[in-house]
Amino acid sequence: MSELGQRESNSFAVGMFLGRLNTEQVFPYPSALSEEQEQTLQELVGPVTRFFEEVNNPARNDELERMEDATMQGLKELGAFGLQVPPEMGGLGLSNTQYARLVDIVGQHDLGVGITLGAHQSIGFKGLLLYGTPAQKKKYLPRLATGETVAAFCLTEPGSGSDAASIRTRAQPSPCGTFYTLDGSKIWISNGGLAEIFTVFAKTPLRDEGTGETKEKITAFIVERSFGGVTHGAPEKKMGIRASNTAEVHFEGVRVPAENVLGVPGGGFKVAMNILNNGRFGMAAAMAGTMRGILAKAVEHATNRTQFGDKIHNFGAIQEKLARMALLQYVTESMAYMISANMDQGATDFQIEAAISKIFGSEAAWTVTDECIQVMGGMGFMQESGVERVLRDLRVFRIFEGTNDILRLFVALNGFQVGGLGSALKSPLGNVGVLAGEVTRRLRRKAGLGSGLSLQDHVHPDLQESTLQCLELFAETADALLLKHGKNIVDEQFVLKRVADSAIDIYAMVVVLSRASRSLAMEQPTAQHERLLCDTWCQEAHQRVFATLRPLPTESFRNLRGIARAVVESGGVVGPTPLGF
Amino acid sequence: MCQHSRPEGDPAGQASGDASGDASQKASGAPVWRRPPRGAQGEGQGPAAFVAALAALEQAPGRRVGRLELVAAALAAMPALGVARDREAYHRLLRLLPRGVWVPRGPFQRLLAPFPRQQECGLQILEQMEQYGVIPDAETRFLLLGVFGPHSRPVRKCQRMLYWLPRLRHVDPHPLPPSLPPSGLATAHLGLRRIANDPDAHITVYQRPVPDEGDDEGSIQPYIVGAQSPDQQELLARHGPARPVFVEGPFPLWLRSTRLSYYVLRGDPLPPHLREDPPDPERSLYYPLHLDLDLERGPWDDDDFDVEEVEEGPVFALCIAGAGDRHTLGKWIAGLQEANPVLGCTPVVFRLGDGEPTTAGAPGGHPEPRLEAAPPRPVVLGPPDPPRRHGHSTSGDTRSGGGPGAPPAAPGE
Repeated sequence: MSELGQRESNSFAVGMFLGRLNTEQVFPYPSALSEEQEQTLQELVGPVTRFFEEVNNPARNDELERMEDATMQGLKELGAFGLQVPPEMGGLGLSNTQYARLVDIVGQHDLGVGITLGAHQSIGFKGLLLYGTPAQKKKYLPRLATGETVAAFCLTEPGSGSDAASIRTRAQPSPCGTFYTLDGSKIWISNGGLAEIFTVFAKTPLRDEGTGETKEKITAFIVERSFGGVTHGAPEKKMGIRASNTAEVHFEGVRVPAENVLGVPGGGFKVAMNILNNGRFGMAAAMAGTMRGILAKAVEHATNRTQFGDKIHNFGAIQEKLARMALLQYVTESMAYMISANMDQGATDFQIEAAISKIFGSEAAWTVTDECIQVMGGMGFMQESGVERVLRDLRVFRIFEGTNDILRLFVALNGFQVGGLGSALKSPLGNVGVLAGEVTRRLRRKAGLGSGLSLQDHVHPDLQESTLQCLELFAETADALLLKHGKNIVDEQFVLKRVADSAIDIYAMVVVLSRASRSLAMEQPTAQHERLLCDTWCQEAHQRVFATLRPLPTESFRNLRGIARAVVESGGVVGPTPLGF
Repeated sequence: MCQHSRPEGDPAGQASGDASGDASQKASGAPVWRRPPRGAQGEGQGPAAFVAALAALEQAPGRRVGRLELVAAALAAMPALGVARDREAYHRLLRLLPRGVWVPRGPFQRLLAPFPRQQECGLQILEQMEQYGVIPDAETRFLLLGVFGPHSRPVRKCQRMLYWLPRLRHVDPHPLPPSLPPSGLATAHLGLRRIANDPDAHITVYQRPVPDEGDDEGSIQPYIVGAQSPDQQELLARHGPARPVFVEGPFPLWLRSTRLSYYVLRGDPLPPHLREDPPDPERSLYYPLHLDLDLERGPWDDDDFDVEEVEEGPVFALCIAGAGDRHTLGKWIAGLQEANPVLGCTPVVFRLGDGEPTTAGAPGGHPEPRLEAAPPRPVVLGPPDPPRRHGHSTSGDTRSGGGPGAPPAAPGE
């Protein structure tokens, strides 16, 4: 069976689709910091926090629509431009967990700065770290690490967001083979106006040795502005993250030496995918930091504001808001640090979890900030409190690095793919005599006998119940969907969204269970509070999963489709106002 | 019922005459209903004859005995008289049955399954109605109520028929006209419309029959009607000239009681490694557009061979022809070539009759000897066909494909 063969995956999310409980990556809550790393981190946290509190002025950055020079200089001195570059190249050589902790701080204070840094190192020169040859690394990394040169990631074009086939930028190889000529334009490139080094994805003609035909495949290039022909447009006017520079970048007859190809010619698709997948984990950490700051602001207001003779934090409406904000922050934070620890421990299969954390984190942060403005009332709406700026900054997090809708499809489809079942169960009670592992599990589940899964060894006894039920229901639904649709499940986006939502909820449940269990086991002072958070979250997530998956409202999907069709046909709202005109 | 073995509508048959021993019997010895009707003797068919026969019975004096046998015989005679689809005829039959006598009185009598043979008779009438697609109406029900009473089997059956038959009346997407034209071009059209379900399918007459009407037995030029839809044309174009296509047949197609034979132009399914590529894996940056799902084998797998799961190759065109020999079908292929030029370079293999594959050899190829129990048909070598255009070849062999009624091909055909 395939999943026992080469593609055996330890990932919890993949196991979910199979009805298995892969606990390796989730229980116990991983901790991947050695003593030395922990010490280094603690030494860094202080200065960085102070910098962002004292030197950086987020409101000013937002107003100026760029970063102040003092801030830029200060960040370069802190080494913030090369956090994950190896020390021999001039960077800090941080592990993923340490990086997540620092990104947490950045997220708490200024997301615009966070994006500038992220576009530079998380995607801008990540390709060099992942695919660069030693010569390329030696040539470019030292100056990138100190921030002397800034990097940008150039993939999006006017006609191409998620669809790689519609990329129009072309790199024509020269007849002698020593350089490529790059032509095209990219839009919405963060750091487009500042960057010196661009990771550009362009189509190159590739001759297939086997068949002799020429196909156009994507290749990744490192392009320096000094090659000539690289121009950028004016900075875009954005809703949020105004401190970060976003501009169009145009390439006209740029001569790129053949040594600057990242990876192999024609292998740009994989490079792009891996860069994007690798950069996602940091986002959840940033969101967790943002939510921590926002929650503090909301609590500060709630504890100081008096209405009806009482502080408003004593009223149920506000208490519910504050509690939900705390829950969302707790879950996001747990996810962020779990995934970064998994990556540090050497896990190879974390893409689904990273995507889940991005989806969850960005939506949670939006909700939390929105609710904070709500708690603060009119004050929240005013610019001086600073929360509205955060809300505007956060909006883009649901869009870039893969829109949340697309990532939901990714979560669902990758889950089906890697944990794929095939049309396994034709007759459920077939040959019950032969029972072994996988078979037992599936047959038992089909026969309604429960999967025999247990969290006993991993989770504190107080915390187990609802997760297992959700896992069962999820696996059952996944089975049924694959049986019903087979490969055509790719087209069923209504259904896939719901599957992804449930997967996110279940992963969130498991993550908080893990963290709360560890806290209880280590008898940390916050253990009881965490347990409370965990219980509440699991209850609500359990209800949500059951409400989503049982039953899948296919009639509602048809109706929604019909409404969408009507709206498209009439170019907007279909009828006039109730008045008739 | 006891009348099963009696021949249909045999007015002169010797009946056992079990219950008609009354003085009114004519000297011929046959019971009343078996005598020829008193109308014009030549007019043995038609509702009029039926009516006349029943009327004769009505007027026959004496006890109405043997009514069940009467009804059975009448039912058997109806198809021959042509009134099987006439609701009125059935009503007349029902009116012959006595009213009220066979109605059970009270629940206890009903409990004992009263009047079984009589109810069977009523059921037989209704079954014949159902068989011939006659929908009962309120009058039928009224008559049945009068004869059998409200809780009887015939009335229940009538209620069911009243519920279902109107709903099923239009269930046939390709209804046949009430009277089929004689076997020929028109029925071929009807038949092809039934099989070639695609509304886009074009039905083309490749060859008109000579003589124009009538049976095509022994006609010089049998009709050839073919059907092909644009989808099939596309499939054929994509099938490519490297792999052969097969003409297979004849397969039977029944239109009511007419049997037609149709032939199929088919290709073999592609081996798995040559099938259409899934979408480019390097198309979508964020999520997979195509899932590669493995089939898992486990003890729950069904290893039996199921004929519904056999993967068949694409069917490129259909044809109904008056004669099923290779020559006629070759003309069909030639006609198809107009719309499908790729047929000119594709080898066409004829697998006719009992499925013996014979490749289309060069014109004038010699026939293979055939061992038969019957004295072997003289195998006549006709002169080779003139070489077809575009390299398309049919064998000049004169062995017939075995379609029904196909004449042994005359030499020189």
